[in-house]
Amino acid sequence: MKKNILKLGFLLLGLLLVLVGYLSYLQVVKDPALAANPYNRRTRERETQVRRGNIYDARGVVLAKTEFDGKQGRRVYPLGDDAAHIIGYISDRYGRAGLESAYDPYLLGMEGSDSIRNFINKILGKEQKGGDLTLTIDSSLQGLAEQLLGGRRGAVVLVDIRTGALRVVASAPGYDPNHLDENWPSLVQAADSPLLNRATQGAYPPGSTFKIITAAGALAAKPGLANSIFNCQGYLMVGGYKLTDLAAHGEVDLKKALAVSCNTTFAQLGLGMGADNFYRVFKAFGMDQDPDPGIAVRPGTLAAPGDMTQTELASSAIGQGEVLVSPLHMALAAAAIANQGVIMRPYLVDSVKDSTGEIVQSAVQRQWLTATTPAISGIIKEGMVDAVRSGTATAAAVSGTQMAGKTGSAQNPHGQTHAWFVGFAPAEQPRLAVAVVLENAGSGGSVAAPVAGRLLATALAKGY
Amino acid sequence: MSVMKGRQVEWKLLFLTGVYAMAGALALYLGSAGTPDRKVVFACISVIAAYFLVSVYWHIAGYRGDCFLLPLTALLSTTGLVFLFRLDPAYGVRQFFWLLIGLGVLLLTSRLLLDFRFLSDYKYIYALAGLIVLILPVFFGHEQGGAKSWLDIGILHFQPSEFVKILVVLFLASYLSENRAVLTVGTRNLGGMSLPGPQEWGPLLAMWGISLLLLVFQKDLGAALIYFSTFLTMVYVATSRISYVLFGFALFIAGAAASFYMFDHVRARVEIWMNPWPTIETTGYQIIQSLFAINSGGVLGSGLGLGYPGYIPAVHTDLIFSAICEELGLAGGAGIIILFMIFVYRGIRIALKTSDDFAALAASGLTSLLGIQAFIIIAGVTKLLPLTGITLPYISYGGSSLVANFILLGLLLNISHEEESNI
Repeated sequence: MKKNILKLGFLLLGLLLVLVGYLSYLQVVKDPALAANPYNRRTRERETQVRRGNIYDARGVVLAKTEFDGKQGRRVYPLGDDAAHIIGYISDRYGRAGLESAYDPYLLGMEGSDSIRNFINKILGKEQKGGDLTLTIDSSLQGLAEQLLGGRRGAVVLVDIRTGALRVVASAPGYDPNHLDENWPSLVQAADSPLLNRATQGAYPPGSTFKIITAAGALAAKPGLANSIFNCQGYLMVGGYKLTDLAAHGEVDLKKALAVSCNTTFAQLGLGMGADNFYRVFKAFGMDQDPDPGIAVRPGTLAAPGDMTQTELASSAIGQGEVLVSPLHMALAAAAIANQGVIMRPYLVDSVKDSTGEIVQSAVQRQWLTATTPAISGIIKEGMVDAVRSGTATAAAVSGTQMAGKTGSAQNPHGQTHAWFVGFAPAEQPRLAVAVVLENAGSGGSVAAPVAGRLLATALAKGY
Repeated sequence: MSVMKGRQVEWKLLFLTGVYAMAGALALYLGSAGTPDRKVVFACISVIAAYFLVSVYWHIAGYRGDCFLLPLTALLSTTGLVFLFRLDPAYGVRQFFWLLIGLGVLLLTSRLLLDFRFLSDYKYIYALAGLIVLILPVFFGHEQGGAKSWLDIGILHFQPSEFVKILVVLFLASYLSENRAVLTVGTRNLGGMSLPGPQEWGPLLAMWGISLLLLVFQKDLGAALIYFSTFLTMVYVATSRISYVLFGFALFIAGAAASFYMFDHVRARVEIWMNPWPTIETTGYQIIQSLFAINSGGVLGSGLGLGYPGYIPAVHTDLIFSAICEELGLAGGAGIIILFMIFVYRGIRIALKTSDDFAALAASGLTSLLGIQAFIIIAGVTKLLPLTGITLPYISYGGSSLVANFILLGLLLNISHEEESNI
């Protein structure tokens, strides 16, 4: 019987130990959604006691501040709609979102030495203060991007390829965070989902812009392809389906195929490398991941290699069918080509200061992925330069700067094609990469490319 | 350990507990902006003094009970006292008086029930008494927090199940120690499996079934769970037969499934547990507020008096652990669990050292009763298990719970006293 008692002891101690483990999980692995839930009145309670910190853009422009009207503080967003999706909002009724939510502990002075300072201030009855955020976003470029989107459904992402700093993360239609509570009922019911951040949470077929990734995968599998010649008759029969092209391009090499966006060639490349290699390159470019830039990103999706038929593989290779990605993912893919295959980790918050102005957190620029080799990226880059010079992307050209790009017109079940453009500039020594998508707006070459061209030219002129 | 040395260790530990409790009381007194409640300081000093008095009395009486259990209880109960003053001083004051009464009852238990062995002679009497007390609330009880488990007799307002659980352990200890051999070996063969006859397990099963049934009618699911688990662990300890436990477990699953379909309140509890979010404004509100509080605590907590545990319904009784987690963090929450682990360790040690079956069964039963109760309520407030309305021993507000758990402590100490005296 003593043996049984010993076993009982171990059982009871084991059960209690499980509780310690589970409690550690609950309290240490914090769920920001719990703090942001409108039914959790803790942060709201703190809100009334603490002077919440400001949010600035890369050049010191105020993006969010608290204005006091007597004792009652009110959050003000000078940019209105322009950056609402990244900055987010704080609402008593509808919770909190974006960076306002993710950086709550810093903005409310609950971290590091601020927490001790504010603890003492609370006891002494003095004002408690929070810290400030400085973003990588440039508000004038962000505004320009929103203006170029012109209220059409779509998104723009502009990223510094050398550091990973995100200069523009625009999504339209937007909403005015200054009047969130009044407009909420209509915002959640609106058919064009203005609350959705299309730049990071959108799931689009990338269309022909995806060919840069297919090319990278095909070249990795068979390096000799760089010198092969493909014959395009204007269509390709795959598993009984006729995959049509825009034109019969005749004899093309890989670079030319990229420049003229030849569907037949890339469908063949996809079939040639096989589903496993195709899936591998999808992952190599980080398409299936959330790179965690500070706000949530929807990881892209692709059917598992075992589930893909030949027809699906061929259409996925040209960015149709089974592929869904966000504009942020496509901007990072362009950055990979521009940066000799290396993708820097994207980030939105440059630095966090505490209430005394001391920097408590600053962005670490580090490599996120090595998507492909310098040699392969060099070949694809040449194809993208040709596309802007003489191919499908001429509308992106801006005088004075050499650009590289790739257009896309992604078919989708909801009407006209989505217009896509991804690219980078200046081509000889790239600094910035861009992705533009405009829903149901027509062809990428005529609609999306000019948006990207204007934005890249302005950003380069500003010295980014 | 000699008598003298044991009590000296106890005094040292009680002294440290006093320092700990005073730190809490002073933090509350000095830190609370607005109306500092000086009663908390007085209450903590008095409670620690009362603990010392119990210990000094034991020293004079030559009592040899375990020297760690009393300081452990002191740590737990002063934590509860400080938190109750922090949450609502009115509850703090009442808890203060209940603690004094509890310590008085502990003293009486260690004196009047020192020869606890006579308890085994009257098992059917208190099995009957226990049943009657359990039945009463079904007819005369009133509902509180969804459970109809309270009896209101004039000035006294108490929860019989808290006391009956101790009777159940004593009944089982006595019954199992008598019928151990038969239950272990079995008297007849059924398909290769030897089973004891109905005369052996009949009363046992009846006792279990009736108490469970009553609890279902009282809607006191937490208590039902405690009774049932304690019952299984004791049967296992007595018989070493895992088949009984498995059979009991199967019975439990069947019973749980049946009551899930038969009783709305059971179904509601399970549904809230599985997904409280759709009912965040009504039935899911409590557990979600508890999770908010625990999540906001982090490693070190917001600091005593600086969190917002007031948003949690019933925070002073069933959900006091969530308040501790919010304000003292993981360090405080895990600390409380570790105290319960040490309690269990001491209890199992006592059970291992005993010389006869009745004492061993009683000690292990009482220990598992306490350990399981702590486990079930902490698992409940963290959403590891469905939340059931039971108290966290020695910490939650509540007279019945405190007094019953001090009786439990006294019995455990008496068993320890006997074995120390035999050596």
